[in-house]
Amino acid sequence: MSATSFIGGGSRRDWVILAVVMGAAMFVPNVLNRGLVFIAGMIWINAVFGLSFNLLFGLSGVLSFGQAMFFAAGAYAAAVLTQHFGIPFLPALLLSAVVGAVLSGLVGIVALRRSEGVYFAILTLAFAELMHLLVANTALLGRNDGLSGLQRPRLGVGALQIDLAAGDNFYYFIVLACGLLIALIRWVIDTPFGRALQAVKQDPDRAEFLGIPVRLHRLLIFVFAGATTAAAGALVAPWAQIVTPELAHWSNSTNPILYTLLGGSAYFWGPVLGAVALSAVFYLTRTLVGMSDMATGMLLLVVVLALPGGMLGLLSRWTGWRRRPVGAPLAKTSGGTSA
Amino acid sequence: MQAADIATLLVNSLTWAMATFLVAAGLTLVFGTLHILNFSHGGFFMIGAYAAYSLTNSLGGSTSMALYLFGALAAGVLVALLGIVIDRLVLRRLAGVEDAYVLIATYALLLVCEGSTKLIWGLNYHTVAPPVALDGAWMPLNAVVPKLSVFIIAAGAVVFVLLEFFLNRTGPGRLVKAIAADPWMARLLGINVRLVYTATVAIGFALAGLAGGLLVSNQSLSPTLASAFVIQAFGVIIIGGMGSIAGAFVGSILLGLIDAVGQWVMPGLPGLPFFIAMTLILLLRPQGLMGKGKY
Repeated sequence: MSATSFIGGGSRRDWVILAVVMGAAMFVPNVLNRGLVFIAGMIWINAVFGLSFNLLFGLSGVLSFGQAMFFAAGAYAAAVLTQHFGIPFLPALLLSAVVGAVLSGLVGIVALRRSEGVYFAILTLAFAELMHLLVANTALLGRNDGLSGLQRPRLGVGALQIDLAAGDNFYYFIVLACGLLIALIRWVIDTPFGRALQAVKQDPDRAEFLGIPVRLHRLLIFVFAGATTAAAGALVAPWAQIVTPELAHWSNSTNPILYTLLGGSAYFWGPVLGAVALSAVFYLTRTLVGMSDMATGMLLLVVVLALPGGMLGLLSRWTGWRRRPVGAPLAKTSGGTSA
Repeated sequence: MQAADIATLLVNSLTWAMATFLVAAGLTLVFGTLHILNFSHGGFFMIGAYAAYSLTNSLGGSTSMALYLFGALAAGVLVALLGIVIDRLVLRRLAGVEDAYVLIATYALLLVCEGSTKLIWGLNYHTVAPPVALDGAWMPLNAVVPKLSVFIIAAGAVVFVLLEFFLNRTGPGRLVKAIAADPWMARLLGINVRLVYTATVAIGFALAGLAGGLLVSNQSLSPTLASAFVIQAFGVIIIGGMGSIAGAFVGSILLGLIDAVGQWVMPGLPGLPFFIAMTLILLLRPQGLMGKGKY
């Protein structure tokens, strides 16, 4: 497997972009109605979902078709911990991330050891479906109906109490939490660990020769992405106020793939832009049954066949912004091995 | 459990197995030759089923055996033609593309299939009555043997034998196998590899459409048909060894039996034994039970 280098702009540029976007997002409730604010919150959560996936795909060259299991694990963990055990939301959020890390550690240890490429993709899909079936048949988790009527939490330290159920407060909380998660993901990419992962993606054999423990690095990023994905899932529980087994269905695993590919897997902001664009497509086609699948499929096909850089690749081609040559993500370096 | 119950269970699991094999056959043929794991295969199976449904309806909706078979064949031809178009527009351009992107591109095709199915036929469930000749069941020694099940099991076996005969005993079939083994050498020998690829895709898609038509009475039609069957077919070809027709045949029977035994042992969790078997095989023997990813 060969591919493009991962294009982070300067990290300073990305911090500025994040700050500006978060600032702008704070005004969303002032200008948009309740329904659109809900969608905006979902976009933030999905952006983290997509960015976590792209840590695996764009950064490390690992295609997982089962990320929904970690998303669902986080959502169910948050719901169960707050509803059944009465744990305050912030610790529950952290514990949900831990649940995601443990689960992805278990899956990663067996799956990364035994398989690569398409086999890994199908294996993660099978694991996720296994989880989906188990969730849909567990009484504690509400079987097929899921858990509904979830309360939005109240945060408080001493005299300072914030009721996140009131008004748009939980939306602001989502922006803050997702902003922190995005910053964390961006930071990891810039660490020596993140740079080693880029080397692993470009040439696993050479990376191994250079002394990078390839398998361990892949496992660690799989666990990290599992944790951030679960944290995103934990935010969905109180936002949508319901969690259902659908969250673990493999079609939910394809969502971050869609965001990433549409936005541009070689760019840090690709999945974020993809999440915004796809939400817009869903919103615009919501009245016509089947049209959203059609439009999404067509867009994805065009991107894979003609625009491998995604929307950001197209943008950088127009503006000449790119700092390094994008290369052709689709071209194989050693031709002829497959037809 | 009585002998009759076991026989009924066996018939059910064989029906499941052959229905899945009918879908998996084309999938594994295309993978073995073009090395494309076609996510959209289930989508074209679904389109075949809906097409057969519409065709038999427009021809008066009579439930004669001849019309049922004609509907299945027509669905096969229609989907084969779609396959030639898809080959030109999409699959041809995926040559030399990374595996991950191939999987994603064919997933995009699956979305297009599901979207067009919803747009054309709507979200409602449709059911197609089996032809009169296949209605009802035989009851030998208290075991329940639905006639439709016997038909599906026979259809699966016939398709398997014909495919194996084609690939091993006929010139064009051997050409497909030769190209699957070494496209570079085949090209060197003056074989029009591109043409054989297109023909293989057409055959693979024809099998998907045919399966749709043959199984149209086996379950109700809904836009979720595609994803349900493509995951089953993935499991079957993984267990059998991707690219192997015989492997898919054996794999489907094995998974059918595992599923049946699982339903008997833990009736509360339908489908779970299937995924457990699939993950175990992928972990322990990723090349599948038979073969090395080639025929």
